[in-house]
Amino acid sequence: MTLFTQQLFNGVALGGVYCLAAIGLTLVFGVLRIPNLAHGSLYMLGAYVTYFFLTTVGVPYVAAIGIAALILFVLGVLLERLVFHPLRNSPHTHHMIAAIGAMFFFQAVAQAIWGADFRRMETPISGSVHILGAEISAQRIVIIVTAVVVLSLLTWFIKRSIHGQTIEAIEQDRTGAALVGINPAMVSMLTLGLSALLVTIAAGLVSPINLLSPTMGDSLNLKVFAIIILGGLGSLPGAIVGSFALAIAETMTSTYISSAVGEAVAFIVLVAVLAIKPTGLFAKAVQR
Amino acid sequence: MLSLENISVGYDATDVLHGVSITARPGELTVILGANGSGKTTLFKTISGLLRTRSGTIEYDGQTIQRTRPNSIVKRGIAHCPEGRHLFGKMSVEKNLRLGTYPHRDRTRTEEILDEVLELFPILKEKSAQPAGSLSGGQQQMVAIGRALMSDPSLLILDEPSMGLAPLVVEQVLESIAQINRNGIGVLLSEQNAKASLAIAHRGYVLAEGRVVLADDADKLLDNPQVQAAYLGL
Repeated sequence: MTLFTQQLFNGVALGGVYCLAAIGLTLVFGVLRIPNLAHGSLYMLGAYVTYFFLTTVGVPYVAAIGIAALILFVLGVLLERLVFHPLRNSPHTHHMIAAIGAMFFFQAVAQAIWGADFRRMETPISGSVHILGAEISAQRIVIIVTAVVVLSLLTWFIKRSIHGQTIEAIEQDRTGAALVGINPAMVSMLTLGLSALLVTIAAGLVSPINLLSPTMGDSLNLKVFAIIILGGLGSLPGAIVGSFALAIAETMTSTYISSAVGEAVAFIVLVAVLAIKPTGLFAKAVQR
Repeated sequence: MLSLENISVGYDATDVLHGVSITARPGELTVILGANGSGKTTLFKTISGLLRTRSGTIEYDGQTIQRTRPNSIVKRGIAHCPEGRHLFGKMSVEKNLRLGTYPHRDRTRTEEILDEVLELFPILKEKSAQPAGSLSGGQQQMVAIGRALMSDPSLLILDEPSMGLAPLVVEQVLESIAQINRNGIGVLLSEQNAKASLAIAHRGYVLAEGRVVLADDADKLLDNPQVQAAYLGL
C-alpha cells in the first residue's frame, strides 16, 4: 500500500510535467492546425536555458525557470513568425518538415553550446515529506503545486481575459474571429510563445530529477503526442486528463511490471486509441 | 460613406464580380438583391477584407481600404455579419457578444451597447449563459447581429440574415434591422426576400451574374416591372 501511494504521488508529479508540456502542444494544434514536432526540442532548450541561469549565472532556482520561460516565449514567437507563418498557405507536410528542421537545428545549437554529454542539474530543493506513509521528495511536491498554480492561471487567462479568449475564438471559428477584429497572425505568435513558456516550466521542474542532454526532448515529444491524441487533438480538458492518465499508467506499470513496459505504455495507449476511438476521449469537431 | 468603384473579384481563374460599383450612404439602409450565385457574398467578403480585389477601389470615409486586413477594417467601423453566422459555437452567448467588442475594448461603451443589443433581442438575456451553438437558427442570427453591433460600427453588413429561418422569425429579424438603422447605423443588407427588404431600405441594387443590373431608390425598385417580374412574382 505504501508503495502504491508512493508511486501514485510520483505519477501525479509526472502528470503535472506532462500536462504543462501537452497543453501548449494542443493549443498550438488548435490555433495553427499543425502538429508542432519541434515541441520536444523547445522543452530541451528550456531545460538548458534554466540550467545556464541556475549554474552558470547563479540566479535562484525559481528565477532561473522564470527567466528561461520568458526567453523561450520569445523564441516560440520567433519560431512562429520566421518558420510557420511564411508557410501558412502551403500544404501541411511543409509545416512538418519545417518543424523537424527546427528540431534538428535546436538540438545542434544545444550540442554546440553545452556538448553532447549528459548534465545534471543540482537539486536546489532537498528533503522530503511524509504523506500517508509514503516518502515524497520535496521536488515532486513543488512540481505538483506549480503545475496546479500554472494550470489555474492559464485557465483563467484563456477563459476570462479577452486576449486569452482570442485563442479559443480562433480555434472555434477562424472567419468569425477575423470578423470580430482578431488578428490571427498575432494569436498564432501568442499561442506558440505560450506553448514554449509552459514547456519550459515543465523542463525546469523536472530537470533536477532527470538528466539533461540535447536529445532529452525526443521521448517527451512522443509521449505528449500520445497524450493529446488520447485526449482529443485541440482539447484542453483532454490534454489534462490524458497527461495524468498516461503518467499514472506509466509509473504503475514501471513499478509493478517492468520499467521497459512503463516506457512502452504511451505507445500501447496510442495504438489502442487510434484503433478504437481515433478522435480521442474529448473529441473536438476539427473544422478545416 | 462606402463606395466601391468598378471592382472585380475572383477565385482562381474566374472572376465572380465584374466591375461592380456600389455606394452605401452613411446612415442609410442599402439592400443588395440577387439570386444565389449572383455574387452578393463575394461582394461582402471583399468589403470586409476576407477577399482581395483584382481591380477597382473600395473607399470608406475617404480612405482606401481594399488592401486592409479584416481586423483593421472592423476597427474603422465596418462590421460584417457573415452568411452562415460564424459564431463561436461552444462559447456562451454573452462571451460571443463580448468578443465582439475586441476592436475597441472600451468598458463603458461595452456595457452601453450590450444593453442596446439585449433590448433589441430580449430573448438573448435568457440565453446569455448557453453555448451559442445550442440556440435555434433565429436566435443564433440574433447573436451574430448582436456580436457585429458590439464593435460599435458605423456600417453594418448583413449577408442574408433571413436565410433558413421560419417566415415569422424572418419578419422579426428584418424588423430588428430596421430598428438598428433607425438608431443611426448604416446597413448594407443582402436579401432574397425583395419585397420585405425593399420596404425597409432607402436604396437598392440588383446584382446578376456579378454585375449591377439595376440601381435605384428602394421605393422605385419596388415599382420597377423588371424587379417585380424577377423577384416579387407579380
